[in-house]
Amino acid sequence: MPAGRPGPAAQSARRPPPLLPLLLLCVLGAPQAGSGADTAVISPQDPTLLIGSSLQATCSVHGDPPGATAEGLYWTLNGHRLPPELSRMLNASTLALALANLNGSRQQSGDNLVCHARDGSILAGSCLYVGLPPEKPFNISCWSKNMKDLTCRWTPGAHGETFLHTNYSLKYKLRWYGQDNTCEEYHTVGPHSCHIPKDLALFTPYEIWVEATNRLGSARSDVLTLDILDVVTTDPPPEVHVSRVGGLEDQLSVRWVSPPALKDFLFQAKYQIRYRVEDSVDWKVVDDVSNQTSCRLAGLKPGTVYFVQVRCNPFGIYGSKKAGIWSEWSHPTAASTPRSERPGPGGGACEPRGGEPSSGPVRRELKQFLGWLKKHAYCSNLSFRLYDQWRAWMQKSHKTRNQDEGILSSGRRGAARGPAR
Amino acid sequence: MPSAEGSRGQKGWKLGSGSPPPLGPGRERPERGRAGPRCQDPQADSSISPLPHLESKIQQTHSLARLLTKYAEQLLQEYVQHQGDPFGLPGFSPPRLPVADLSAPAPGHAGLPVPERLRLDEAALAALPPLLDVVRRRQAELNPRALRLLRRLEDAARQARALGAAVEAVLAALGAETRGPRPEPAAAAMAAATATAGVFPAKVLGLRVCGLYREWVSRTEADLGQLAPGGPA
Repeated sequence: MPAGRPGPAAQSARRPPPLLPLLLLCVLGAPQAGSGADTAVISPQDPTLLIGSSLQATCSVHGDPPGATAEGLYWTLNGHRLPPELSRMLNASTLALALANLNGSRQQSGDNLVCHARDGSILAGSCLYVGLPPEKPFNISCWSKNMKDLTCRWTPGAHGETFLHTNYSLKYKLRWYGQDNTCEEYHTVGPHSCHIPKDLALFTPYEIWVEATNRLGSARSDVLTLDILDVVTTDPPPEVHVSRVGGLEDQLSVRWVSPPALKDFLFQAKYQIRYRVEDSVDWKVVDDVSNQTSCRLAGLKPGTVYFVQVRCNPFGIYGSKKAGIWSEWSHPTAASTPRSERPGPGGGACEPRGGEPSSGPVRRELKQFLGWLKKHAYCSNLSFRLYDQWRAWMQKSHKTRNQDEGILSSGRRGAARGPAR
Repeated sequence: MPSAEGSRGQKGWKLGSGSPPPLGPGRERPERGRAGPRCQDPQADSSISPLPHLESKIQQTHSLARLLTKYAEQLLQEYVQHQGDPFGLPGFSPPRLPVADLSAPAPGHAGLPVPERLRLDEAALAALPPLLDVVRRRQAELNPRALRLLRRLEDAARQARALGAAVEAVLAALGAETRGPRPEPAAAAMAAATATAGVFPAKVLGLRVCGLYREWVSRTEADLGQLAPGGPA
């Protein structure tokens, strides 16, 4: 707007109201032209255009008294004054505008193209809709919660950026008969989703697709065909309990109940368990927990808090051959493993990682030695297992040394020794 | 507010055990033998003056108007944001037209007697809800994803109705005449017309209606302030 423009009250006092107010008075049932008003009309009104296209517009002034001129008129677009070289007087009462290579609309309600009088007052306005037609929506995925409903989500084509309001409509019908139906509950799980709450048939396939429409055209996705029974999910398993396994320091027991909504239909079910240490973000997943409602986690750290979650996949419902859809994870349940009873000098337990059993008089002497250690030494939790681990390592190390010496003797002089451990 | 705790609220005191301990400031004593305080009907006892009730009513309505003035300002800001520039730019000033059934407060409004001002306030507040509904429906087409704007417009219609009813109650309590039978609102005709009008005029009309809403709730707040305790009246 030009600087120093007088306020609207002064304008009203000085001159008859311009066209836009008269348009609004028409809208509101007030008297038409002839009331002493300048009027102007922008053509075209509210056009829709492709990005990159051009626009030729005119602002025609009518006046009372007749002879109102377009001299001094100017254009703004979204509040910015357009360069004078884009305008030209077509005749005494008409100012033309030529815009080329239009960008996408700045707001969904349309770009505001306004024709101003010399003093900056608004004579007329028109809203431009510049954008792209929708592209084909794709990647439709659907799931049914306990066979009672169907929720679908999709990806809009061209990443959704058409610069115009684009309406998405999810349609569905029974494959072999029935009419097209339109989903009504949108945005249930994100901006491009819809929920069908009821009246769904089982054991018969549905065809599902999405139609995208805006001012510049429409597009339709590919059709997805599915049977509700093949896309069933359910609630997370309830009543997940995690508890210690006696005094075992490295184990926790997880128990749960199968989801009640499907308990009469779940002839089979798969479960997954995931767990993590309290202050970690890395989950470990136990995958093959089939059709059972308990599991023992092993190899855990002693004296550590673990968070545990369980989820269910109701596959094979009513004989469906397809994998079901995993439920959400249950709420995290926490439990801690028992602490080690006798920490070593470094504060940790001397725990073996496995070993091989051995026998004989050496073991008897070793047993006595270990008993003596428990009474008289700090590292009192040494055990046969640790001894067996050492023996296995010794055997392996001896074997490796023999192999190296064999290699060296075939190609080199001198012995190669493995690194000291 | 009086506590409803009764005997429970006082440590070591039981109902009927003798004189109750003194209550803190601002607390009413419950009647002996009853579970807690009860709301007395002020009109049941003619010795109770209706004045405190009226003052309380005026105070509440004034507070409501103050709150709605803030909401009306937020609505206006939300509205211009979704129409795009130049709406909302500092220099933007479309013509301030009269809207059917409603105009801005007249320059001489503040010079009128308070009851007359409140009558005009009440009339304007009654005219606003259908106009706000028309604007909301048009904005639902122009800005379908502007959920907060649409909700604010819906709330504004409801709030204007509530404030108008409260002002009418104050007028009745003052013994002032309220308005006569109201003319049929022109909102239906306006709705039909705006549906076919251009987008830019519809945006301007919506701005005008939101502006009028803000002007009238602000005017109502000021007029009630004249009557509220501590005001000039």
